[in-house]
Amino acid sequence: MTRITQAGLGFNTERNLQSAMERLATIQNKASTQKQINSPSDDPAGTATAMQVRSEQRQNDQFSRNAADAIGWLSTADATLSTTTDLLQRTRDLVLRGANDGALNQEAKNAIAMELEQLHEELKVAANTQYNGRLIFAGSSNASTAVGATNQFLDGSPVERRVGPNSTVRVDISGSAVFGEGTDSVFATVLSIAEDLRAGDSISARVAEVDTHLQAVLGEQVKIGVRHASVQTAESKLASDAVTLQGKLGSVEDIDLASTILQLKSQEVAYQAALSAASRTLQPSLMDFLR
Amino acid sequence: MSTFGGLNTALSGLNAARIAMETAGNNLANVGTTGYTRQRADFTAAGPLASSGVFATKSGPGQGTVFTGIARLADAHLDARVRGSISLAAQSDTSAAALDDLQSVLREPGENGLSALLNDFWAGWEEVANSPGDSAPAVVLLERANAIAERVSLTRSEISDQFEAQHRSLRSMVDEVNTATQTVAELNAQIRSVLASGGSANSLMDQRDLYAQSLAELTGASLREQSDGTVDLLVDGNPIVSGASAFALQVGGSTELNGDMPPRVEFAHRPGQAVALQGGRMAGAVALLAPADSTGTGGALAEALASLDSVASQLATRVNEVQAQGLTTAGKPGAAFFSFDDGKLSVLATGAQDLATRSVSGGALDGSNALTMADIANESAGPDALWTKLVVGLGAKAKSAAEQAVAAGVAAHSAVSDRFAASAVSIDEENVSLIANQHAFQGAARVMTAIDEMLDTLINRTGLVGR
Repeated sequence: MTRITQAGLGFNTERNLQSAMERLATIQNKASTQKQINSPSDDPAGTATAMQVRSEQRQNDQFSRNAADAIGWLSTADATLSTTTDLLQRTRDLVLRGANDGALNQEAKNAIAMELEQLHEELKVAANTQYNGRLIFAGSSNASTAVGATNQFLDGSPVERRVGPNSTVRVDISGSAVFGEGTDSVFATVLSIAEDLRAGDSISARVAEVDTHLQAVLGEQVKIGVRHASVQTAESKLASDAVTLQGKLGSVEDIDLASTILQLKSQEVAYQAALSAASRTLQPSLMDFLR
Repeated sequence: MSTFGGLNTALSGLNAARIAMETAGNNLANVGTTGYTRQRADFTAAGPLASSGVFATKSGPGQGTVFTGIARLADAHLDARVRGSISLAAQSDTSAAALDDLQSVLREPGENGLSALLNDFWAGWEEVANSPGDSAPAVVLLERANAIAERVSLTRSEISDQFEAQHRSLRSMVDEVNTATQTVAELNAQIRSVLASGGSANSLMDQRDLYAQSLAELTGASLREQSDGTVDLLVDGNPIVSGASAFALQVGGSTELNGDMPPRVEFAHRPGQAVALQGGRMAGAVALLAPADSTGTGGALAEALASLDSVASQLATRVNEVQAQGLTTAGKPGAAFFSFDDGKLSVLATGAQDLATRSVSGGALDGSNALTMADIANESAGPDALWTKLVVGLGAKAKSAAEQAVAAGVAAHSAVSDRFAASAVSIDEENVSLIANQHAFQGAARVMTAIDEMLDTLINRTGLVGR
């Protein structure tokens, strides 16, 4: 039979109280930090997941910023193309009016030519539109104007924004596709129509040219619309991903509050039970009963 | 048997009861004394006087009781178990505590770790990719790069600090060991002379066993009892105490992390020769201070430092490689962004003009090379992956060390508890012994009174017939 001694009893009681206290402290730490994982050793595999999810969260965040930037580019492009369409509509109206050979005298034609030259300038301004300091029709080049002296465009490589781990969206527009290049460009066309008007030549056949340019602009605007829609889809996907990732991180890192509180309570009860047991077992000895 | 023999028998009973009660009193007085081993007064019955003579056929009653000594009820086997399990528990406790400290340096998982800084850094490259050549995102990026460099250097110095603290504690433990071995040797000498002169060395032995236990906790020393009552304490087969002589230990080797000679414990009289400690706090400390090796099984501190260096070096290498693939907005080939030299990570780039944001085929404001840079974040052997490996590896090590420490602690606790059961004072037992011996004393006194009355009758009341 094992001998039970006072010192042994005290030693065991102390040890039991200590471990009950330690469990209580662990649960209390979890409850107060609201974290399941306070250091890697709490759950090494969970730590790896948490780090991975945090990194995905940060990337997701950045993709959202990229998408916002992409929306900025595309909105500017869309607005510019709308302006360009308006300008070309006015050009078309003027060309139609200028083609009225019988009704117009040369002075009136000169006035129309002047107006066309004005529109040419406005078209150039539209072609040199900037977003956030960048020419939207100049790709990745750093030229000061998008349209050169001979109406050619300095298309660099396309400008793209990354809106997902594997998806990028082009946010600039090819200037040459919108305005045409060199002698075929909308600028050259408008100027040459103005010249013809001043020279008194008939311009009735030129309406078709303006129409072609108008179609090109509208076609590009449709492309911009498609990209705009895809960035918006990406944005809403990123927003829902953010929620999913937060939930994932929570399930790995955060405590289950109800169960932790329950554990905390039961641990407190256990500790109190250990204390009262200690107070009862440690006191009495034969001495209490001898006279 | 003589007429007065019975008085002597009663006297021996009175003495025995008194000694037994004094022993119980001593036990009770020492009920809370650390290291006290309960004692018991041992008696043996004195046999009858040998009868001589031709017609002697019957032997008489016994002659009472004879005190043979005070026994110290220690159990050598339990003591050895306590020393062995405590030395193991101390060893695993030391490494568990150190690994726990070490993983707190990493500040993971959370928003304050290196991984968060790296994530910010890669996101910074995407910002730069969105507006190459702009100074605002470039300044932010360089700020984040500097934060990484500072964190790497802070973590390195924190690991070095822990190394120094561990080394300091090893040195103070060695000092403690040297004092304790000296004391054990002196106690050995006293015990030997007390025993040789026939005295009781119980309290000296209690003291010595306490020291032996704390030496086992520090060095894992094993104990060998000698026939003259002294003990030898052995570490790695060599005595640190032998009889009345103590052999001092000292700390040798380098005092720096990753020095040319790893820190070791050696005998002062045999410097240069490492002592292989089998257990104890010092064994835990020496293992922690060991240098890193190629298989990643070296000392935890040096391994953590080596892993941190590999993260920093991989970061510098990969970023510089991608820099070299691209061009700056001005069309110049990208120069090194980071330098990593002798454990120091520094940022060499100073502004937007140093960032190789464009690919060779792209325009001046192309950002595709910066995007390639941001992709390093997801590389399977990239700096982020290496850092995660370091954190998870250290976490797993700390977890298993903590579990081992708990298991070893339970074993040590059960050994100590068993020893308490065997050799600690039980108040109930001593009370019972007190009562029993009190009654024995009363009994012996009664015998003495009876004999006294008998003699009184015989001497004073005989021969009075008819008076």
